[in-house]
Amino acid sequence: MKSTSYSEKTLEHFRNPRNVGTLEGDNVALGRVGNPVCGDLMEMYIRVENDRIEDVKFQTFGCGSAVATSSMTTELVKGMTLDEALEVSRGDVAAALDGLPPIKMHCSNLAADALHAAVDNWRAGVKPEDVETTDAPAECPATVPQMAPGEIAGLADFADAGAHTEVDDLTQFAGLRVLVIDRGDRTAQLAMDLLDHAARVVFMTSGKDLSSLSQAMKMALKISDVKVLYEAEPLAVLGEGEVERVRVHDLNEDEEYELAIDAIVVLG
Amino acid sequence: MNHTEAKPDTRVCVPPVRDDVVYLDYQSSKPVDPRVVEAMAPYYTQNFGNASALHGVGDEATEALDEARARVARFFGANPEEIVFTSGATESNNLGIIGYALRNKRKGDHVIISEAEHISVLNVGKYLEKNGFRVTRVPLDMYGRVSPKKLAARITDDTILVSIGWASNEIGTVQPIAAIAELLAGRDIALHTDAVAAEGLLPIDVREVPVDLMTLSSNDVYGPRGVGALYVRKGVGVAPVMVGGGQERGLRSGTEDVASIAGFATATDIMASEMLAEVERVRAMRDRLVERVLAEIPDVHLNGHPTERLPNNAHFRFEAVEGEAMVLSLRDYGIAASTGSACSSKTLEPSHTLISCGLLHEEAHGSLEFTFGRFNREDDVDRVIAVLPDVIERLRAMSPLYRPKK
Repeated sequence: MKSTSYSEKTLEHFRNPRNVGTLEGDNVALGRVGNPVCGDLMEMYIRVENDRIEDVKFQTFGCGSAVATSSMTTELVKGMTLDEALEVSRGDVAAALDGLPPIKMHCSNLAADALHAAVDNWRAGVKPEDVETTDAPAECPATVPQMAPGEIAGLADFADAGAHTEVDDLTQFAGLRVLVIDRGDRTAQLAMDLLDHAARVVFMTSGKDLSSLSQAMKMALKISDVKVLYEAEPLAVLGEGEVERVRVHDLNEDEEYELAIDAIVVLG
Repeated sequence: MNHTEAKPDTRVCVPPVRDDVVYLDYQSSKPVDPRVVEAMAPYYTQNFGNASALHGVGDEATEALDEARARVARFFGANPEEIVFTSGATESNNLGIIGYALRNKRKGDHVIISEAEHISVLNVGKYLEKNGFRVTRVPLDMYGRVSPKKLAARITDDTILVSIGWASNEIGTVQPIAAIAELLAGRDIALHTDAVAAEGLLPIDVREVPVDLMTLSSNDVYGPRGVGALYVRKGVGVAPVMVGGGQERGLRSGTEDVASIAGFATATDIMASEMLAEVERVRAMRDRLVERVLAEIPDVHLNGHPTERLPNNAHFRFEAVEGEAMVLSLRDYGIAASTGSACSSKTLEPSHTLISCGLLHEEAHGSLEFTFGRFNREDDVDRVIAVLPDVIERLRAMSPLYRPKK
């Protein structure tokens, strides 16, 4: 079945999603599930009064199904008690939308999970602004000890072929995709300086935010054209005689993938 | 027999095929030119013979087939006997790559392809690996180009075949195929190219760029679907992958579909006379769309090569917006576009080409592709520009990831 063969109801919710947005205040909880890497990230805000969901809002980065299931979930649960809300399943949401294409049942049907996470966070007393850190899987703390340069497999093998442990001449990066590993402010500054020379600059940091940087540097980096890759660490440098790829450990999903690059900078 | 040569059309552009949709997905499918349909009709009802039959009706089919073969060959600078008709690009890729590898196995077991290839080449590569060959994939630069240097570094004594597409059907990047042909010249390594994406958009002449095997499709020059060809340079040995009655010099058995083949030939004739003007017209529309989108929408990037790209291809990446959501939204406005997002694919994997360009998964998810063609009009660009900024804004307003930079 094509991914676009959605029911009319699903399409209607995609076109006119209900309850888009965020909520603020003391009696608000947030649930966040998914991962933009998979093409889906969903946030569900609930306002709770007397153990009941008085208001609910969502935000999502995702496909048509992600938008429609979020919208439908908010409609279903508004006014429910928290216990009732926990009973709402992915299947209920899909059924309320007159069904979803089979391929979308799992990947893009996270709204019920986000709702449950919001209820759990409410009961655990977790405030929305703290969800980022409390939501992290136990095995990956927000800040992971930095690896020494020698610990990235293959780094030394490419010493003259795209792997740099020190940088003086930026012009050598002209036209290249450069990956800079977070080692604090000077590496963030280097990443931004490289924008004038390299074709693309990715800054890889192991934390969920840029807590390794000073506040000023953090702001400067965030509004720059440097692509920040959060919660990731380099495992190995790969290539045929020169740097071509880096094997990346996604700390949030605990998965590995490869990123195509031309140069890597790991300052000692 | 009265062969149906293309009637010269003095209009710059034949009227659009349909008015209810702004069709900007020419890379996935093209309408058949009405003049081609007209030329095909007699082969269904009058000249319907089997080219292998010995009677007069069969002879007429043989004559039509020979003549179509000559016309298709002429468009690509080939000799008629170098054209093998197939059912389309996928079959041609199978025959060209698997057929060559099987026939030349004693010379070596190593085949090189690139990471930019169409799925029908990538999966042929996997098939070869399961059948005792070694397959190496050359990486891409950030624009999707294969570097001849990186290709050279992967050639071994056992390498028998290199297959690099002429241009990417997806991001539109044009490969340095002439430089690759030059690199391989003088070595006993055949060069296959899937030229389908470039057909009718770039000049393709096997006398200028000496490839050994080349995959061609009829629909990509506005001919009927279900027919294509494999160019096999004289002297290059290929084993059949489909056996039967020995048609097409034994390389592709099965009674020839003369109507479709005649349609393919007519399509190449029309393209030969109209391509120069058509490409300029299409390029101008594409350029205007790119310029307007980059100017009017924040945090958008052009994927692929800035200049070395197919003249009809505009491939964007919008930060913090998911591709399927964009395509669905545009569909509501009557605009047909496509995306490399995982959410639109059967495998739930994002476009392999974008990942090989160095994009992160979350970035590849935000891609949106427009491909122009023969029947687009200037105001199609205006219709996209009229709605796209709002579509992006609406989806970004919903996205927890979007943080405007400027």
